[in-house]
Amino acid sequence: MKEIRIWFFYTINSFQQTLSNRFITGVFIFAKSLRIGLFLVFLHFIFQGTTDLAGFSRNQIIFFYLSFNLIDTLSQLLFRQVYHFRSYLITGNLDFVLTKPVHPLLKLLLGGADVLDLIMCIVLVIITVWFGVAYITTDWIAWLGFLALVVNGLLVSAGFHISVLAFSVVTITVDHLIMIYRDLTSLLRIPIDVYIEPLRSILTFIIPLGIMITFPAKLLMGLLSWQMLTLSIILSITYFSLSIVAWNWSLRHYQSASS
Amino acid sequence: MRKYLTVFAIDWQNQFIYRLNFIFWRVRNVFRLLLTYFLWLGVFTSTESVFGYSQSQMFSYVFLVMIVHAIVLSAPSSDNIGGEIGSGDLSNYLVKPVSYIKYWFARDLSSKLLNLLFSIGEIFLLYYLLQPVLVIFPESFQVIPFLITLVLVVPLYYFINLSTRFISFWTPENTWGLAFLIIIFYETLGGIIFPLDVLPVWAKTAVQFTPFPYLVYYPVVILLGKVSGFEFYRILAQTFIWTVVMFIIARFIWQKGLKVYSSEGR
Repeated sequence: MKEIRIWFFYTINSFQQTLSNRFITGVFIFAKSLRIGLFLVFLHFIFQGTTDLAGFSRNQIIFFYLSFNLIDTLSQLLFRQVYHFRSYLITGNLDFVLTKPVHPLLKLLLGGADVLDLIMCIVLVIITVWFGVAYITTDWIAWLGFLALVVNGLLVSAGFHISVLAFSVVTITVDHLIMIYRDLTSLLRIPIDVYIEPLRSILTFIIPLGIMITFPAKLLMGLLSWQMLTLSIILSITYFSLSIVAWNWSLRHYQSASS
Repeated sequence: MRKYLTVFAIDWQNQFIYRLNFIFWRVRNVFRLLLTYFLWLGVFTSTESVFGYSQSQMFSYVFLVMIVHAIVLSAPSSDNIGGEIGSGDLSNYLVKPVSYIKYWFARDLSSKLLNLLFSIGEIFLLYYLLQPVLVIFPESFQVIPFLITLVLVVPLYYFINLSTRFISFWTPENTWGLAFLIIIFYETLGGIIFPLDVLPVWAKTAVQFTPFPYLVYYPVVILLGKVSGFEFYRILAQTFIWTVVMFIIARFIWQKGLKVYSSEGR
């Protein structure tokens, strides 16, 4: 309970900080919406020249893309603080976080929620649900499964962000590593099935971003077997647990060199 | 001139200090290519030709974008100018006998050369791994127009970049907002993710009146031999005009910005 209250305060502070410059906030929301809109337009025009993309129809590809944006934005909303981790490391301010009587990941992972992502999330939820109900399925059990796999995907995302933090404690290299994660997730703007082996398996089982992004949409479309569903849940829990082990291990190697 | 050659040489050496960061940056560029490559591979599973491109032409387009991207769009100035204005570090340059604009251009060129060398290596690696069928190397008359366009496009991107970063004079606490918007424009309207031929004629015509397609799309289609004589001169003229316009805008914002610059934080 104490943790939830502290997270709430961190979030409010972070929101206020972002909203202090309304012009830039407006520019960001416009830019993010434009990026999504232009890619959707591009997908629309692609299907003027072809009937399907690797066996998927236009509506399915659009839903995969909407689903990608929703999960990616949710992940950024929750774990945005990781982008600021480098300054904690190089200034030695990490010491102050580690000595506080709450779990350090509460601040380092969840402590910087971005209000811009919250706004984008609300818009994306509305568009994704509308499009999914109109063109994919109205089966509410499938939608519950979709929701469960989105949460499962966030567990994978949390695991990846914690792994980045752990790796950074040892190497002091955060910026590009987190951007590599962003680029890797960008590959999943189109379904994982489009990629050839071994890339497909790497993105599903080793860096389970396919589980995080493609699987929820596939479940909703009735394209995910129960074996893969079970495996995805086991893999995400394993991945998250390993990232916690890596984090604890990295802290034992933290030298507090800058403080 | 000699001092900027020295800046170029020092920056060249500096890039080898943060090797891990550089490797990560290159890895990111490979991922970008993979997305577009597999997207088009998926499209070509059910058709032989899309928007006037055969599969080999489309894959050639995707690979050439990677090279042009390395030459035109790799620019350390993007990541540093806003921060230097915001933190007041710009003052260190203002008191020295160097032009800040030329200084960063020299550093950008050094970065472009290194990125170009690596991107060629990566293309060979990806070609070996993916084994795509590419269009045979272009005739020499297509290479020369391509190189002429690049000579204009490199400063064009630099001046667009400067114009957005110099906004930091007025918003020093947030140097990223406008630049983010410009990145989205050149990624989509510049032909990085998809060739502009997928757009309907009216949309493609409208995009031609922005500077973005001249950064990547036109240099690549020129090399692919998709541009005829008169069309090439039109593109060249418009690229030149945009370069001059963006230079004037960048210089104007710089001069106005210096008047409000208060070297906060120093």
